[in-house]
Amino acid sequence: MVDWTKIRSDFPALERTINGRPVVYLDSACMALKPRQVLKAMNEYYELYPACGGRSIHKFGEEASNAYTAARGKFAKFLNAADEAECIWTRNATESLNIVASSVKLPKDSKIITTSLEHHSGSLPFVERARRDGLDIEIVKAQPDGTFDIEDWKNALDNKTSLVSVVHSSNVTGTVAPMKEIVELAHDRGALVMSDDAQYAPHHPLDVQALDVDFSAISVHKMCGPTGMGVLYGKLEHLESMNMALYGGDTVSDVRFENGKILPEYLPPPEKFEAGLQNYAGAIGAGAAAEYLQSVGMHEIEKHERSLLEVVLKKLLDMEHVHILGTDDIKIKTGLVTFNVDTVSSAHDVATFLNDEFNIMVRSGWHCVGPFHYQMGIDPKKGTARASFYIYNNQDDVDAFLSGMETLIEASK
Amino acid sequence: MCTAPPRLDMSDLSKNAQCVLKILEDSESLTTTEILGIAATEKYAKLCVDCAGGDAFVAAANQLVEKGLITKKFGKGGYRWQLAKD
Repeated sequence: MVDWTKIRSDFPALERTINGRPVVYLDSACMALKPRQVLKAMNEYYELYPACGGRSIHKFGEEASNAYTAARGKFAKFLNAADEAECIWTRNATESLNIVASSVKLPKDSKIITTSLEHHSGSLPFVERARRDGLDIEIVKAQPDGTFDIEDWKNALDNKTSLVSVVHSSNVTGTVAPMKEIVELAHDRGALVMSDDAQYAPHHPLDVQALDVDFSAISVHKMCGPTGMGVLYGKLEHLESMNMALYGGDTVSDVRFENGKILPEYLPPPEKFEAGLQNYAGAIGAGAAAEYLQSVGMHEIEKHERSLLEVVLKKLLDMEHVHILGTDDIKIKTGLVTFNVDTVSSAHDVATFLNDEFNIMVRSGWHCVGPFHYQMGIDPKKGTARASFYIYNNQDDVDAFLSGMETLIEASK
Repeated sequence: MCTAPPRLDMSDLSKNAQCVLKILEDSESLTTTEILGIAATEKYAKLCVDCAGGDAFVAAANQLVEKGLITKKFGKGGYRWQLAKD
C-alpha cells in the first residue's frame, strides 16, 4: 500500500505558501517537481566528489565514475533495456529525437511517418531529415479525441516506410497510442520505430524490450529528475551503425597523428554519443529519479494518477462552458486533462486567474503541438489550458482545481 | 519631500515586455487575445518575438503588472490589460 502522503512530503517545493496559500502544482507534464532523494544525490556529487568521471584516477574521480556508471545502470533497469550501453545521456527528449533524426541510416527514396499529434520535437526533426535527404514524409492524422485509428496506420505503413516517429502519450490529449500494434505493423514492413516517451515514461511502466521499440526518447525533468537531462534509448545494433551527432573528447579510443592527418578511432555506444565533459550531477540525479519512481512502483503511479483524473474528468464533463480535448477513456490516458472554457477568450487567462486567485499552476497555450491545435480549429492565440497530475497530487488538489474552475467560470460570464 | 520612484528604463525590460508595453501604449485597453493578435502583426515583428502560442508574451505581461507598469482586470470574457494610470 503506497503512502501517498509520505510521497508528497518528499517534495520540498510543495511546502511553500504563496500569499499565505498552499501551492497546487498541476504542471508536471511540463516539469515534474523534485524529491529530496534526487536533490540529495546531486548535492552529494557537488559537495563530496565534484570531479571528472571516467578521466581522473584520483579518489574523487573514482567516486564520480562509479556514481555516473551506476546511474546509467539504474536507468537501464527502469526501462528494462537489454544493455546499459543502450541508454545514452542527452540534454532532453528533444535532443534524443534529433540525434535519431539526423543520424540514423535511412534508405534513399524511403518514407518517414509521423503524426499530427506530435510535440514539435517529435515531428520537426523528421520533417527536416526528410527535407535534407529528399525523403517522403507522411502524416497520420490523429482522431479528434487524440486516439489513433489503427486502420490509418495500416494504410500509411508500406514497404517504402523506413521510420515511424510517434508520440506514445500525448502531452495535449493525454491519450496513449497503441504502440505495440504500431511497432508490429512497422516491423512487419521493415520500418524502425522512434517512440517519444517524454510523457509516457514518467507515468506508466515502460519496458522497451517488451514493446520492441527501436528508439525511445525520455525527458528526465518530467520524471522527477533534474533539468538538462534526457535519455535516448536505442537498440544496440542501431546505435552501433549510426553516425555520431557530436565529435570530440570522450568519444574516442585513439586519435593518432600520422602523415599530416588526424586519425580518430571512435568508441562504441554509449560513449560515441556522449562527447565532452558530461553532466555528472544530472546523470546521477537521473539515476536517483529512476530509482525513486521504481521504489514507488510505476503501476501504482499510473493507478494513482488515473484515480485523480477520473474524478476531474467526471466533474469537468458536467461543467457548462468547459470543453475537454481528448478522450475521457481513463484506460488509455495519462494523468492530464486539456480543456477550453468558452466564457474565457484565451486559455492564458484561465491559467493566470487560477494562479493569481488560488495558486493553482496549470499550463496554457499550444503546448508545442501546433498541428493538432490547427487540426482542431483552435487558434494558437486562444490555445488550451492543461492540468496534469502526478505522484504528489491528491484529492485536495483535485478539489481546489475544480473549485477554482467554478469560480473562474462564474467570474467570466 | 516626496520623490518619484525611479523610472524604469525600457532597456531594463525584456524584449517581450517591451513588446507588450508598446502595444498597450498604442491602445486604450486590450484583451489577452487582442494583445497576442497585435503582437503577430508586421508593425511589431522586430520587437515581439514568441511562438504562436504566446506564452512568453503573457508571462511578460504578468511581470509588467508586478512592476506596476500595467494593470489587468478579470471580467466577462477574461482579462483586460492597460497601462497603469499615474
